[in-house]
Amino acid sequence: MAPAPEPGVIPAQLASPLAGLANRSSEAAAREKVLIRDLSFYYGSFQALHGITAPLYDKCVTAFIGPSGCGKSTLLRVLNRIYELYPGQRASGEVLIDGENILRPGLDLNRLRARIGMVFQKPTPFPMSIFDNVAFGIRLYERLPRSELSDRVEWALRRAALWEEVKDKLKQSGHSLSGGQQQRLCIARAIAVEPEILLLDEPASALDPISTQRIEELIAELKSDYCVVIVTHNMQQAARSSDYTAFMYLGRLVEFDETERLFTRPRDKRTEDYITGRFG
Amino acid sequence: MSDPESGPASVQASALRSNRRLAAGLAERRERVAARLFTAVLYGCCMLFLLVMGGLAVELLWGSRLSLAAFGPGFLWSTEWNPVRGRFGAAPFLYGTVVSSLIALLLAGSVGILAGVFLAEFAPRRLGAALGTMIELLAAIPSIVYGLWGLFVLAPVVSGWIGPALQAAFGFLPIFRGPIYGVNMLTAALVLAVMIVPTITAITRDLIKATPMYYREAALALGATRWESVAKVILPTVRRGIFGACMLALGRALGETIATTMVIGNRPVISASLLAPGYTVASVIANEFTEATSALYLSALIELGLILLVTSLLVVGLGRLMLRLFVP
Amino acid sequence: MKPAVIRTLSVPARRRLSSALWAAAAMLCTFGVALILLLVIGYILREGFAALSWSFLTHLPRPVGVPGGGVGNGLVGSGMTVALAALMAFPAGMLVGIYVAVYAYLSLARLLSFLADVLAGVPSIAIGIYAYTLLVAPFGGFSALSASFALAVLMMPLVIRATEGAVRAVPRELREAATALGATDYRVTCKVLLVAARPGIVTGLLLALARVTGETAPLLFTAFGNQFWEFDPTKPMAELPLQIFTYAISPYRDWHRQAWGGALILVTAVFVLSVAARLSFLLLRGRAADGTGP
Repeated sequence: MAPAPEPGVIPAQLASPLAGLANRSSEAAAREKVLIRDLSFYYGSFQALHGITAPLYDKCVTAFIGPSGCGKSTLLRVLNRIYELYPGQRASGEVLIDGENILRPGLDLNRLRARIGMVFQKPTPFPMSIFDNVAFGIRLYERLPRSELSDRVEWALRRAALWEEVKDKLKQSGHSLSGGQQQRLCIARAIAVEPEILLLDEPASALDPISTQRIEELIAELKSDYCVVIVTHNMQQAARSSDYTAFMYLGRLVEFDETERLFTRPRDKRTEDYITGRFG
Repeated sequence: MSDPESGPASVQASALRSNRRLAAGLAERRERVAARLFTAVLYGCCMLFLLVMGGLAVELLWGSRLSLAAFGPGFLWSTEWNPVRGRFGAAPFLYGTVVSSLIALLLAGSVGILAGVFLAEFAPRRLGAALGTMIELLAAIPSIVYGLWGLFVLAPVVSGWIGPALQAAFGFLPIFRGPIYGVNMLTAALVLAVMIVPTITAITRDLIKATPMYYREAALALGATRWESVAKVILPTVRRGIFGACMLALGRALGETIATTMVIGNRPVISASLLAPGYTVASVIANEFTEATSALYLSALIELGLILLVTSLLVVGLGRLMLRLFVP
Repeated sequence: MKPAVIRTLSVPARRRLSSALWAAAAMLCTFGVALILLLVIGYILREGFAALSWSFLTHLPRPVGVPGGGVGNGLVGSGMTVALAALMAFPAGMLVGIYVAVYAYLSLARLLSFLADVLAGVPSIAIGIYAYTLLVAPFGGFSALSASFALAVLMMPLVIRATEGAVRAVPRELREAATALGATDYRVTCKVLLVAARPGIVTGLLLALARVTGETAPLLFTAFGNQFWEFDPTKPMAELPLQIFTYAISPYRDWHRQAWGGALILVTAVFVLSVAARLSFLLLRGRAADGTGP
């Protein structure tokens, strides 16, 4: 597959941010789940994203890193069009999921979001029991008999590494859990509906180190079933957990490559500066 | 770390997905209907509310049409109130409303601002909280109870103590001349003052508490006393907000009906003395609405209601604007 | 700045004295206002207790001079009227409040919020006139229903604002998390937002009830009053505040005593509702946080 067209502003002497992927095998191309094409995003008149183009591969973890305000969370929120909740925010360009452009008007947003799971930076348990939290998404779209529902909830909680800790208190409020547990609850809630894509917006940044580690282990496991996209401030986390990494700066995609290559032999000087801590 | 899943993940996943696609159709349709119903009900209530608001304006205007046509703008300054001959004028009531409310504002404003300052700056925390709660409780008491208290407790005090004292000390002033009644303008102003003082106190206290510490620190560092730092720095900073609070309180006083009716004496005469009875717009409506014998009579009363509505809205609107513009 | 510094050095005592006097005056004002509260409540308790008795609470009014009269029909009437008003105002007000909070950026929502603020400033007697022209004059008779309508209109701004505030206070991540799962606005609102906002809403409803209990002016020409038991809301009905008013302005001492009794009942009811409002907030909010159930 040829490298994607260059986003306009990057000087010609730098290679395309996706140049590193040119040598991928066709097997890798077949697993492309999402293709972001020339995506721009505006908060009112302020342009937050400039012509982003990048692929997201299925059954892999793609990490977006960059300094504060570079637009990585904004990009994530375009993928499930959660920004539609707020007036004055709009996107242009294309985001193809399995070949279908999800930015087209008239798309059923609820259906789209049911296929995509999102976990936020701040754990947000709903004001209901742990069981109902996990079952919430399932109940939206499926009419399962009670036993099947329980099985699915248990499955999701096991997958999120939370089952052992909550199996005796499923009826208690989601708020009764610790921060790390709440976040795993949110992850269980997101995967209970069996999405195809999982978006994680700095999922561990509000947690203590031990919970963070557990979440990272979880992410490594989850990738076997989902296309995982994670936004993180923590470079070490990105280096440890992801297969592909994208470095963003001031709303532009500077470099996108396999993680190992990006961290050991970055092509762009800005990437190198960021990774070595010279800024950000 | 995590427990093994309850079955080979991929097989289970695809089986679940196809089941889900089957069930999704029916559940989704029901969901859509429910969502549409909900939105319809939501919009319905909004429209209902708009209708009710619109109806208020329309009905009051329509009800006043006879009186508006018969008396025009002269209604506002005519002092004649003669139901028998069908001649009506608003002046005595406007006078009564304005004078009683303004005096109430004067009293409640001075006391309320000082109390607000004390609660915000000088009171130790627990005492301040307790006193603040007590003052807020004052605001919860229904106006009929204030009227009762005003009539049986305050009015005798005014006619027996305060009135004579004022007349003895300041009897040369026209406002304290003449026979002293218990139910008079002064009693009404006092009762109104008691009713609106919690509003002014609470808002002043909150405004002062909201100013950043460094204002006080800067004043103190220059050698000002505690009181001076408040009076010369903080209060001027929040003065627009306090003005807003006073406007809100005034709006409340203008519209107060029952408490005033019980203590103002209900005589439609403009007299210079505060110790004489008066009549407010709200009181005359309350007293005479059910006794209005002619359509013109009723229409005049409704026009009074319209005037009261417009005035209150202007005053309260001004007050809210001040508070909103001001909020730090 | 310099003159102030010089004056500080030369006349500290005068300024300190005047500051102290002002501060003392402020303290007196505060205690004075609190004292007035005690006076008012004190009189109500003292005079009102004298009138309280079982017959006072359950009997009909009797002509002056005849012992054993009561405000029974007023209690029932007021209860019915306020309950009907709540029935009218709570659902509609809550729904408008939800709309304004969830779709806050739409111009209709902003208009509604503004109108709710405007309505809060309308004098209650004007609303009484409105109820009269709408529901009394065209039907040729006073009714508790028209009184309930007036009270409902009075309650609407409070209910709307309380609901709007409570829903707005729910962290936006909660709304986003539910939407991100594919839930429609309807489900997000009902299952997540409203549940999270419930403590604030319940408090607001109770406070609205407290505010409207004891409102007298709009009742004067809507419910009008009734000497007998009445359970039909389309007829004129006895209302406790009206009875207090009538008794108070009469020349009879016995009726004055009954007026105090009625006032005591009214103040107690308002007090109970206000305390319930505050308690319910603490209780409901506490339950959501400590995990003893949804």
